[in-house]
Amino acid sequence: MTILLETRNVTQRFAGLVANSNVSISVQRGEIVGLIGPNGAGKSTLFNLIAGAFRPTEGTIVFDGEDVTALPAAERCQRGIGRTFQVVKSFESMTVIENVIVGALVRTTVMRDARRKAHQVLAFCGLDARADVLASDLVPSEKRRLEVARALATEPKLLLLDEVLTGLTPVESQKGVELVRRVRDTGVTVLMVEHVMEIVMPLVDRAIVLDLGKVLLEGKPADVVRDPKVITAYLGDRHAVGA
Amino acid sequence: MDQAFAQRRRRDLIVAACLAGLAALVPLFVKDVYYQNIMVLTLMYAALSQSWNILSGYCGQISLGHALYFGLGAYTTALLYTKFGVLPWFGMVAGGLISALVAMVLGYPCFRLRGHYFVIATIVIAEITLLLFQNWDWAGAALGITIPMKRDSWLTFQFARSKLPYFYFALALACIAWFVTWWLEDSKWGYWWRAVKDNPDAAESLGVVVFNSKMGAAAVSAFLVAVGGGFYAQFVSYIDPESVMGFQFSLLMALPAVLGGIGTLWGPALGAVILIPLTELTRSYIGGSGRGVDLIVYGGLIIAISLARPQGLVSLFARKPKADARPVREAVAS
Repeated sequence: MTILLETRNVTQRFAGLVANSNVSISVQRGEIVGLIGPNGAGKSTLFNLIAGAFRPTEGTIVFDGEDVTALPAAERCQRGIGRTFQVVKSFESMTVIENVIVGALVRTTVMRDARRKAHQVLAFCGLDARADVLASDLVPSEKRRLEVARALATEPKLLLLDEVLTGLTPVESQKGVELVRRVRDTGVTVLMVEHVMEIVMPLVDRAIVLDLGKVLLEGKPADVVRDPKVITAYLGDRHAVGA
Repeated sequence: MDQAFAQRRRRDLIVAACLAGLAALVPLFVKDVYYQNIMVLTLMYAALSQSWNILSGYCGQISLGHALYFGLGAYTTALLYTKFGVLPWFGMVAGGLISALVAMVLGYPCFRLRGHYFVIATIVIAEITLLLFQNWDWAGAALGITIPMKRDSWLTFQFARSKLPYFYFALALACIAWFVTWWLEDSKWGYWWRAVKDNPDAAESLGVVVFNSKMGAAAVSAFLVAVGGGFYAQFVSYIDPESVMGFQFSLLMALPAVLGGIGTLWGPALGAVILIPLTELTRSYIGGSGRGVDLIVYGGLIIAISLARPQGLVSLFARKPKADARPVREAVAS
């Protein structure tokens, strides 16, 4: 396996608040990696830095052998980084298929090809029956899937999923888990931020735990959930004693 | 589904061609010069509003300063003709290119602003340019420019005896503006613009270069509006800063689109066909003492629209929800 994404000593400060401090992680091609940690651990910040929503205060981000630290989000998308947003950001006045076409247009300017690609992706995500519905008329779980579909239409090498499984019913999240597996099976590497441990742990090949802006631990999911440091980070010292 | 989409696109094109054909026949039956004048203005505002709609409707960058480009088009055409003898046809194109360039130069700083701040910037810049022209002696300052009338000719685009040539030119302009919109709507640019309007952050994450999208929309929009301005200069054959760059033009470009449906293909034309005759007629019927009644009509219409049809009048013609779009519950369960 080769490294697809690497962050080297990435630090992000917001007016005195250190959201990420010296974070170095790497993601191998073909992996599903979970990025977990309690609230305020800096998961979303790290995601935004990788996706290019803003530039890190210090450190470099290397994607596919290239330093992308200075590249804006749109160019990173062209390089093959796709993302979803924690707070869903659909194009509300556009239909579902139109939302996805926007993503597909990164790879082609021929409208017929973009449209065909969009239909394929919608079918893959189980949204094809809703293609001509306005995005604003979708229910929340469908909007999540639309976010994934839109990102997939850009044909990413790396897909960043920001809490796509959070807040869904058990049936919906199970379908989400299957979708993520199928995405990986098509050769896309997945890095996902998730809150809900019991959903994400069976899914990921490797888990990286962030706490207070730093990498606390990384390893196999089964080991990570048993680690006293992780339990302390999530639940506090009192519970760690027993573990 | 692709076929349904292609069919709808084709149907739009056919309907537009039929409407244009019908419109072309109207002067055969309406000989009254006063009504012909209203028709010319209606078509011109349809074209202007359609052009405004590209930047403000599709791309979502509300401009209330498009009078600037209208004025630049009018002045470029008039100045090139009166000072250098350049035919208005070239003048209109030159005005368009200058306006597109100005739009991009102004866009460079202004497109970093969002929402209300952008709107205010457009108003202020247009007003400043108006003041500059009022004090620019070479361009006639506040007195303006009178375009000397010669023989009626398509070459100099001057017609003292008949309104018909203006009518057909305005019709062609409206058709071009419509067709450009139609064509761009199903292109990368069209999708980029709408994505930028709905959510710039999400657009950026999908590879849309937000800044370039806005610049492109501004350039196309300004070009077309300036051609309309050049036409207007020839049509009225006398221009001064207030009469081509005044704030009312910015409003008159925005209102038809708002009334008919902002960011839609048919909205601006529909809005113009209702709004312009209505205001022109109320102005003439109420007469001299009724100055401002047309503005009351505008205001009343906008209030009525925002209460009853916030999406604009075109939403009356909107497609019914498709039968194969399954209801929400079912889709979730499957």
